[in-house]
Amino acid sequence: MWLNIAARLFWRELRRGELWVIAFALCLAVFTVVSLTGITESVRSALSQRSSNFIAADKILRSSLPFNEEIFRTADTLGLTTAKQMQFSTMVFAGDLMQLVSVKAVSESYPLRGNLLLKTSEQPDATLLKSISAQQVFLEPRLLQLLNIRVGDTLELGVSRFVVAGIIAEEPDAPLSVFGNAPRLLMHVDDVAATQIVQPGSRIGYRYQFAGDSAALKTLELQVKPMLTVHDRWQSLDRESAVGSALDRAEKFLLLAGLLGIVLAACAAAVAASQYSQRHQMAVAVIKALGVTTAMARRIYASHLAMVSVFSIGIGLLLGQLASSGAQWFIEVWLGDYRPEFSVRPLWLGALTGLICATLFSARPIWRLAAVPALNVLRQRGQSFQLDIWQLVTGGLAIWLLMWLFSGDWWLSSWLFLLCLAFAALLLGMAAVLVRVAKPMAAGQSSALKLALANLRRRLWPNSFQLITFSLALFLTLILYFLRAELISQWQQQVPAGAPNQFLVNITETEKPQIIGLLQQNQLKAGDFYPMVSGRVLTVNNETLADPESQNDAERQKGEQQADAAGGGESAKRNMEQTTADNRVKREGIGRELNLTWLTTLPANNDIVAGAWFGTADKAQVSVEEKLAERLALQLGDKIGFSVGGQPFTATVSSFRKVDWNSLQPNFFMILSPDLMQNFPATYLTAFYLPKQQTALLNEMARSFPTISVLSVDNILKQINDIIAQVSLALTVILVLVFAAAVLVLVAQVQATLEQREQELAILRTLGAKTVFLRQAVLAEFAALGLMAGVFATVLAEVLLAVLQMRLFQLPFSLHFNLWWIGPGLGMVLICGLGWLLLRHLLLLPTPVLLRRALS
Amino acid sequence: MVKKTLMSLLPKIDIQAKALSKEVQLPDARLTILQQVNLTINSGETVAVVGASGSGKSTLLGILAGLDTASSGEVYLAGQPLHQLDDDARAQLRAREVGFVFQSFLLLPSLTALENVTLPAELAGIKDATARGRKLLADVGLTARADFYPSQLSGGEQQRVAIARAFITEPAILFADEPSANLDAATGAKIEDLLFALNEQQGTTLVLVTHNPQLAKRCQRQLNMHAGELSEQQPEVSDVA
Repeated sequence: MWLNIAARLFWRELRRGELWVIAFALCLAVFTVVSLTGITESVRSALSQRSSNFIAADKILRSSLPFNEEIFRTADTLGLTTAKQMQFSTMVFAGDLMQLVSVKAVSESYPLRGNLLLKTSEQPDATLLKSISAQQVFLEPRLLQLLNIRVGDTLELGVSRFVVAGIIAEEPDAPLSVFGNAPRLLMHVDDVAATQIVQPGSRIGYRYQFAGDSAALKTLELQVKPMLTVHDRWQSLDRESAVGSALDRAEKFLLLAGLLGIVLAACAAAVAASQYSQRHQMAVAVIKALGVTTAMARRIYASHLAMVSVFSIGIGLLLGQLASSGAQWFIEVWLGDYRPEFSVRPLWLGALTGLICATLFSARPIWRLAAVPALNVLRQRGQSFQLDIWQLVTGGLAIWLLMWLFSGDWWLSSWLFLLCLAFAALLLGMAAVLVRVAKPMAAGQSSALKLALANLRRRLWPNSFQLITFSLALFLTLILYFLRAELISQWQQQVPAGAPNQFLVNITETEKPQIIGLLQQNQLKAGDFYPMVSGRVLTVNNETLADPESQNDAERQKGEQQADAAGGGESAKRNMEQTTADNRVKREGIGRELNLTWLTTLPANNDIVAGAWFGTADKAQVSVEEKLAERLALQLGDKIGFSVGGQPFTATVSSFRKVDWNSLQPNFFMILSPDLMQNFPATYLTAFYLPKQQTALLNEMARSFPTISVLSVDNILKQINDIIAQVSLALTVILVLVFAAAVLVLVAQVQATLEQREQELAILRTLGAKTVFLRQAVLAEFAALGLMAGVFATVLAEVLLAVLQMRLFQLPFSLHFNLWWIGPGLGMVLICGLGWLLLRHLLLLPTPVLLRRALS
Repeated sequence: MVKKTLMSLLPKIDIQAKALSKEVQLPDARLTILQQVNLTINSGETVAVVGASGSGKSTLLGILAGLDTASSGEVYLAGQPLHQLDDDARAQLRAREVGFVFQSFLLLPSLTALENVTLPAELAGIKDATARGRKLLADVGLTARADFYPSQLSGGEQQRVAIARAFITEPAILFADEPSANLDAATGAKIEDLLFALNEQQGTTLVLVTHNPQLAKRCQRQLNMHAGELSEQQPEVSDVA
């Protein structure tokens, strides 16, 4: 019987629009989660696919041991594509010339991600190849210059001879660092054995590259785990690199935006549920007076909620999925090589969000609604449904649960949740004070303003709640807006317009003025000239450093002997290595030559974190980059023994430096005091910006200064700019979504007061208030609310921005002057505008209609 | 046998209150709303409770109808000890035995006139609710308005729907709280006529709370409520005649 009544009431209320507000709020919550999660996942996957291009694969296993074919077989059975890569340094010979090169030997399937472009001649219209075949070698253009050969000439590599098949035009996983890399030679991995370069003890980097489905990649990681040793490690995109840190920040931002979006959607659901309960009090009292028990009333309204929830969750899922598919389509069109992946996570997360909002936010109001006494029919008035402790507890729990589900990070969710809670408490206090202060303020004002302030004061608690949601919505929007702007501007500063895109290395003392002159002739400006000498770090406090690679080799030989003695196979050999490797205790050296420089002034983008920068009078000192200092376990005052060209000398560590490696400026691990280095023959390094239309100058330079190497970082800059543009767009899309969620919360909040306002307007109209007066009063009330909400939101946003900047995003602190007018201005315009839009039709109603509506 | 015959000769009691008191705790005082009220209403009687605002009339009505509970004393409604029943049992008793007419009509805005009328019948599990509803709407002169929503009806029409709703379950007892107070004099008078006509037709016990002496006079008995105490007004000679 109750089901019959419930169904009839449900359809009628649906038709009357009674249930739309709650349906809308639930739908919004589900939509926000599905679309934000879906878009975030798409953006993340687009970014990670982009970043896969930087490592030419989805996943890389690096090893210093020869390839274990078992690992490739495992990957094959999982349906993954694979590629092999070996990297080593060696000398190549061409006629009388020789040159140290960085060799990359790859299989035909390389690259699994991104593009390899090989040109078969130096001509602009040369045929382009996308993969390498056996018996081919391709060279970096500057290597041709250094060896004084052309495409088609022969070079010697180990005991093999190769004809140069062409030049490397684009290499997806080219190193992003511009210094200290020998020029690249690309060859086929199957040709390496014949060169006889790989000998026991040779320093070779082996890379297993994999690409495919992310689930299969995870399975692979688990399955090959038992086969790995200390010499094997999975490589992820380097978080220290410019691209890595941009991605990292973007991911944090997206996560944060998603969490804040959920808070907003949850607020909308809470407001709608309370409003629904408030409006249905008298109906419940009536049906209870007519004989409905509390339990039956509970069943009737719970079934309404259930039906609305199912309906709204369905619609929310559909719209959310449409939005995220739209975003995927957009990313696909924009990026071209993006492979959209369907994920069910946004859908189940959205459904769960709807369910949680429906039960945890609405269960309490519905419970209380069913408990409304039948006696209220005689009292002729409803109770004011103030928030009670249970509603706060269940609502709070729901928000936290949603945040945790969404982020999968209980620490971040708890932290943000507590912060929101603290803000709400603070806002409540501030609102109470302000609304009380408004009373004496109103004394000398016009009557419309007086009425507005009286309205605000009279509904202190509901208004405080409204003020909190308004402030919260504005605050979250402001935070996202400013953080987005901040992140984008930081990234752009990293690669400012006119940043040096050409580096000149190997400039002699005599060539220095000629280079400056040539650049000046072409209206270009050279940067600072850094002297450079290659040297090795041999000792720290007279203790000789271990060579990391040779140490591994020693262990490997020992392990092999033991494994052979035990008659074990390949895996026994690997396990044995693991045990022996754990016994390392010696301080490990750097394992390669460093570019040393000497300067009297601290370079820009460098900060002293310990000790002091040496002055001109200081002798025999060295300033060390902090990460390297950590690796070498250095203390201030330690003595480092260097060797440059076979000549040893010692320097005392006088400072540690933090270096911004993202700056694309010349950076050095070790900077020595000038007294130490002046007797060594140095070459210089400089950088300058070359506009695209002047690229012909590079050819002139190559002809005039054949020994100077020109390194172009245009490709790197282009890649970084691409990523920045992409991430900025993603941030904008998400900001728009969060702003829309905030507006919807405001609408739900204003709608919740419509009925009460209708009655008030009816009374005021009956008392003879003119439309102009009522309009002014309504506008003044919303303007005051908006201003207050804007000011609160601004203050809190400034505080939180400072915390987020410094803690979460590692950005420098700065005050946001714009915030101080945008915040209050936005609050006033937005809330006033929305209030006006929502109440306009009430103000225009003729008095008799208004009266009838208010009394019915 | 003799006892049974005697019992059938005694009037059937529909409502009985014994030493009924209601007190509420205010922040700084205890307020007595009803003081030792004793009352017996027989089946089929029409009783008006009159008194000034705040005298406790509505509180008494609430307790007698099982909408509220007393602080002390006993109340029997249709033979059931209301003071011993819990909230749900009282609701079920109301569904079976009680009808209401309220001052501000209190129709459910989302249901049509007909649906508002049939709601109590459905709650009481009556099969031919719709047919009964249509008949009652015809009785109150609203056949043409059956599918209108409350917001589309005038005040008088809304109260007529409320009266039809009150009678659909053929309740033993009807409680009316200021049924014509929100209406103009002419409409109010029509509503009162309708109420008394249906009451007479169904033989319902009527308990009416009102300010209006004229309305009160149409009842067989008039009880006066003053500062929580109830006294019965003796009918004037002319009234008896």
